[in-house]
Amino acid sequence: MSFNKLTVSTLAIAAVYATGAYAQGRDQVQVAGSSTVLPYSTIVAEAFGENFDFPTPVVQSGGSGAGLAQFCEGVGENTIDIANASREIKDSEIETCAANGVTDIMHVRIGYDGIVFASDVNGNSFEFTPADWYKALAAQVVVDGELVDNPYTTWNEVNPDLPEQPIMAFIPGTKHGTREVFEEKVLAAGCEESGALEEMTAMSDEDTAEAACVAVRTDGRSVDIDGDYTETLARIQSDPNGIGVFGLSFYENNTNSLQVATMSGVEPSTETIASGEYPVSRPLQFYVKKAHIGVVPGLKEFVTFFVSDDMAGPNGPLAAYGLVSDPELAQTQAAVEAEETM
Amino acid sequence: MSVLWITLIVLAIAAIAYGVSRRKAIEETKGDVRRLHSLPSYYGWFSFISSAVPAFLVLLVWLVIQPMIIGNRVNDALQLPEDATIVQGMAATRDARAVSVALDEALSRGVLQQGDIAQFAADPASLGPALRDADIELSVIVTPQLLDAARVYSSTVSMLNTLMAIVVIGIAIVGAGYAIRRITPDFRARNVVERMVMLLLIGASVIAILTTIAIVLSMVFETVNFFRQYPWTEFFFSFTWAPVFQGISQLGLLPLLWGTLYISAIALAVAVPIGLFSAIYLAEYASKSVRSVAKPLIEILAGIPTIVYGLFALITVGPLLRDWIAQPLGLGSSGSSVATAGLVMGIMIIPFISSLSDDIINAVPQSLRDGSLGLGATRSETIRQVVLPAALPGIVGAVLLAASRAIGETMIVVLGAGAAARISGNPFEAMTTITVKIVSQLTGDTDFNSPETLVAFALGLTLFVITLTLNIFALYIVRKYREQYE
Amino acid sequence: MTDISASPAGKSKGSSLLELDSRTRRRNAAERRFQIYGIVAIAIALAALLMLLVSIFSGGSSAFRQTFATFDMTLPAEQLDPEGNRDPAEMARVTTIGYQNVLRAGLVAAVRDAGIVPDGVADADITGILSPEAAADLRNRVLANPDLIGTTVDIDALVHGRIDGYFKGRVTMESAVRDANITPERLQIAEAMVENGLMSTRFNWGFVTKPDASDQRPEAAGLGVALLGSLYMMLVVLVLAVPIGVAASIYLEEFAPKNRFTDVIEVNISNLAAVPSIVFGILGLAIFINFAHLPQSAPIVGGLVLTLMTVPTIIISTRASLRAVPPSIRDAALGVGASRMQSVFHHVLPLAMPGILTGTIIGLAQALGETAPLLLIGMVAFVRDYPDAPPEGLFDPASALPVQVYNWTQRADPAFVERASGAIIVLLAFLLVMNAIAIILRRRFERRW
Repeated sequence: MSFNKLTVSTLAIAAVYATGAYAQGRDQVQVAGSSTVLPYSTIVAEAFGENFDFPTPVVQSGGSGAGLAQFCEGVGENTIDIANASREIKDSEIETCAANGVTDIMHVRIGYDGIVFASDVNGNSFEFTPADWYKALAAQVVVDGELVDNPYTTWNEVNPDLPEQPIMAFIPGTKHGTREVFEEKVLAAGCEESGALEEMTAMSDEDTAEAACVAVRTDGRSVDIDGDYTETLARIQSDPNGIGVFGLSFYENNTNSLQVATMSGVEPSTETIASGEYPVSRPLQFYVKKAHIGVVPGLKEFVTFFVSDDMAGPNGPLAAYGLVSDPELAQTQAAVEAEETM
Repeated sequence: MSVLWITLIVLAIAAIAYGVSRRKAIEETKGDVRRLHSLPSYYGWFSFISSAVPAFLVLLVWLVIQPMIIGNRVNDALQLPEDATIVQGMAATRDARAVSVALDEALSRGVLQQGDIAQFAADPASLGPALRDADIELSVIVTPQLLDAARVYSSTVSMLNTLMAIVVIGIAIVGAGYAIRRITPDFRARNVVERMVMLLLIGASVIAILTTIAIVLSMVFETVNFFRQYPWTEFFFSFTWAPVFQGISQLGLLPLLWGTLYISAIALAVAVPIGLFSAIYLAEYASKSVRSVAKPLIEILAGIPTIVYGLFALITVGPLLRDWIAQPLGLGSSGSSVATAGLVMGIMIIPFISSLSDDIINAVPQSLRDGSLGLGATRSETIRQVVLPAALPGIVGAVLLAASRAIGETMIVVLGAGAAARISGNPFEAMTTITVKIVSQLTGDTDFNSPETLVAFALGLTLFVITLTLNIFALYIVRKYREQYE
Repeated sequence: MTDISASPAGKSKGSSLLELDSRTRRRNAAERRFQIYGIVAIAIALAALLMLLVSIFSGGSSAFRQTFATFDMTLPAEQLDPEGNRDPAEMARVTTIGYQNVLRAGLVAAVRDAGIVPDGVADADITGILSPEAAADLRNRVLANPDLIGTTVDIDALVHGRIDGYFKGRVTMESAVRDANITPERLQIAEAMVENGLMSTRFNWGFVTKPDASDQRPEAAGLGVALLGSLYMMLVVLVLAVPIGVAASIYLEEFAPKNRFTDVIEVNISNLAAVPSIVFGILGLAIFINFAHLPQSAPIVGGLVLTLMTVPTIIISTRASLRAVPPSIRDAALGVGASRMQSVFHHVLPLAMPGILTGTIIGLAQALGETAPLLLIGMVAFVRDYPDAPPEGLFDPASALPVQVYNWTQRADPAFVERASGAIIVLLAFLLVMNAIAIILRRRFERRW
């Protein structure tokens, strides 16, 4: 019987504390969202916590969609202040936000993320064009005027200049924003470049052809990665013929195990991406709840600090980590200062 | 008075009530305890519960309501506009609290006197610097209204806290008094106490039901939302799973369901024999010292984070199976496969079967074994024909638990079996499970209102229904084959 | 034995008790086989465990050692306290970047004084040896004790993760050539510093006590916040899940009428055990955060979610072990006049204790290692501030050990691989401590009747 008695009293005490202690407010900034923006956010959060009198912001990961979903949950201390995103917020999401009372949203672009193709450091080197990727990965390709299932098994069948190596591609899974960029800037571009788009449009209509351009083969030569870049790296290490899609910063941290391929003759680097020579990149951004500025201590300071030249500038730590800094950073800084909303 | 102190005082009152009632019960019988209806301690527990439980319930409710009252009064003092948002209201309360806390600190350290605060009302801006001189942080800008609000805040808080203490402790005392008065030798204390404990037990069982209801509720709205945007026939009967960003996804359940069942089946095919034989050996053959070492060691397998298993599958088991079995047999050259994930997952769930079955076999009465052995059966015959049938319901429970764990696992599947949805009988092909897709669709970059994300909820609910069916089936099996002894 | 029983063997089947007939031999062989199956099963399980543990320990033990640079330098007052008042509030205006410059200058001086720098090596190659964390450490040290300014202090600074990796064999001279984060010159200087006693690799408590660090500072990342977070969550789970689970099982197994309704509850509970853990995260987000307005990233919410997740496991194992207690025990208790409640609490429950404890061990092990349900309630996060002591600390943001493992395995820098394995070792140690208590209790309760 005493066991049960103990239970009653512990339960009661726990419950009492649960409600009693939560009479206090939150004093740190809460951030959530894209795992691509996460490393940059943590670098800034760490420096912010060290140099300001505010606590270090809490940065959650979980994907742009999940971050924005939490962001649009409403306003108040138990909702997040900032949503990191590797894509722009959608209209339907803005509507949901508005329905929950999240109206004044600041959009802050922090820079660009380069997407690179890399293979095992001890294997062959590659010089790709988007057309190579399209031909190697398309579900169906046009051969002699007919649409057939992709017959290519090695890279030199796709393009004689490439080494003779079995096609094995580790591409981001359909949950990743990177996949969208990959489809748009590599597969679709390659489809057009190789003339396949034209041929397929001639066979059916344009929409079907465009959809066919980004349809990826499912015979096991292209593997979707639902995890993150470390998983892609592990897969390349377990299958050295593989070629993976990575973020520039990830590659730069793993040059001892990966070598990068050029795209249309341009080697990816922060400079070539910033100048637009290297074609595969996308903007990174975060969204700030304006209603929380002045309520959550340090929010405005954190956002300002994030886009300051010391952090996001071309010589700041974010660029050192692989972020391609935004040439229009000054405008972003001004917009943050003025608390401009979308 | 803090909540902790109130809690302790209530517990103390209840404890005193326990002692008094117990003694009163004994005294009423003039030393002849046999005249009591129940054991003396039951009278004590009756008073303890009557005094503590109502008091704690009131305390709980009070603590939920108190912040609301404080917030309202502070907002009134600040004269916030009618259409002020929740955030503004919370910010105001927060600032008022900050000022009030700083003032309390200053008063307690003797930096300020009670009278000084009134002076600051005329010149509130000087309060901040004055406090800062005394090393008290105050980061808000003090306005006259805010100072007022802070005073309202602190007076409300102290008033409500005092009131709370009085009410709660009062209830505890009244409850104790009432209980003590009811005690006579004929009072059926045990029945009353047991009824109270029974209520508690029922309450605990209801939590499981409530959890189920909450799970269904937290997913059903989004699921309905999903089926508004996506035809249910496609979802349930399509053989293709191919979500795309642009919004012409095919979201068929069947390939995922196939992968889930296939991988779980392999995992169980690995874990059930190993787990069961380990359990039998540990319970029936192993010496005490072997058992006391081996059992906890095997249990560690359940505690290793699944990411370790996943990497083990990806780096070691996957290439091993590919190079030694799949390729020589011409079954494909995929590094990640159903067999890899199933094998590794099987290892992970061994302890679920071995440890639980071991406890259950161990609990089968020795007399059953003795009877069987006495008739001349060997030990293994005894185990197979007497002990295992007696332990069957428990073992099935253990297997179900293991299967549940296999169905719910993500990391091993992602790294071991890949993320490709496919229906195939070849165990060396990459496939994936429902759970993996729930996680990846929920944590992806897709629009959270789109069918691509919402499908996670539909998948979750469908899986819920499927496992429910499996469980009903398992219950039926157990009922049918159970051997009940004694 | 064969000799003695040889003679009667030929006469009639089974005529002697001393001789084994073929059926007996078969049965004995089956008996031996049966035992061997058991031994093989245990051997497989233990071999798998051994393999996993070896891979964890070989990968993770180096995480507990870290390379530090040790040298003396004078803290220049004009840079660190331009106003000269030694007022921490004013000094806080000097950021870590300022401290970094000071520290780098100090290192360059120390290394050049030691005369170990080859000709033509730029200062940048020396300064790149230090971790960015070193400047933050120095800043905190100076702000806590302003009188240090102007004096000569011992600096014990973390070095860059790549240099640390060089001494642990992760980085080589060849890979350094291709790596933008390190140059072979820096490695050479680091080697010379080790010879001169300016640098050493030693045990690093910081790995267990310090908070997480950003992707740029793998060398500074620690498990402090995650350990506290896991501890708080386990406290919540222990306090809630075990009593609730045991109470529910007692009711369902011993008191509830056996009817269709109880069947529904039974199926419902085993079904809850099959619900994927991320669904409990969905539930936690909907109920505890959006409905009950509890804060994000707080161990209390994590603990509650894990409690709901663990209760079915505990209920299932507790019910199984309650069911295994022979009815004769209950009958005997009832026969001498005990109430049903007394027979359960005084006799049945103690006998079922080993099974209950097993369920608790497995349930807690699962709860301790789960990441997925924490994903949606904000605990899979980068948290650098320690939570307060409970009970208030239960509402402060914290991460958890499996979260830290998960986060670190996702990071780009290869130095985090070692730290993730190290974190797993700590997680297992945590688990072992928890299990040890339960196992000792279980052995006290175990008995056969």
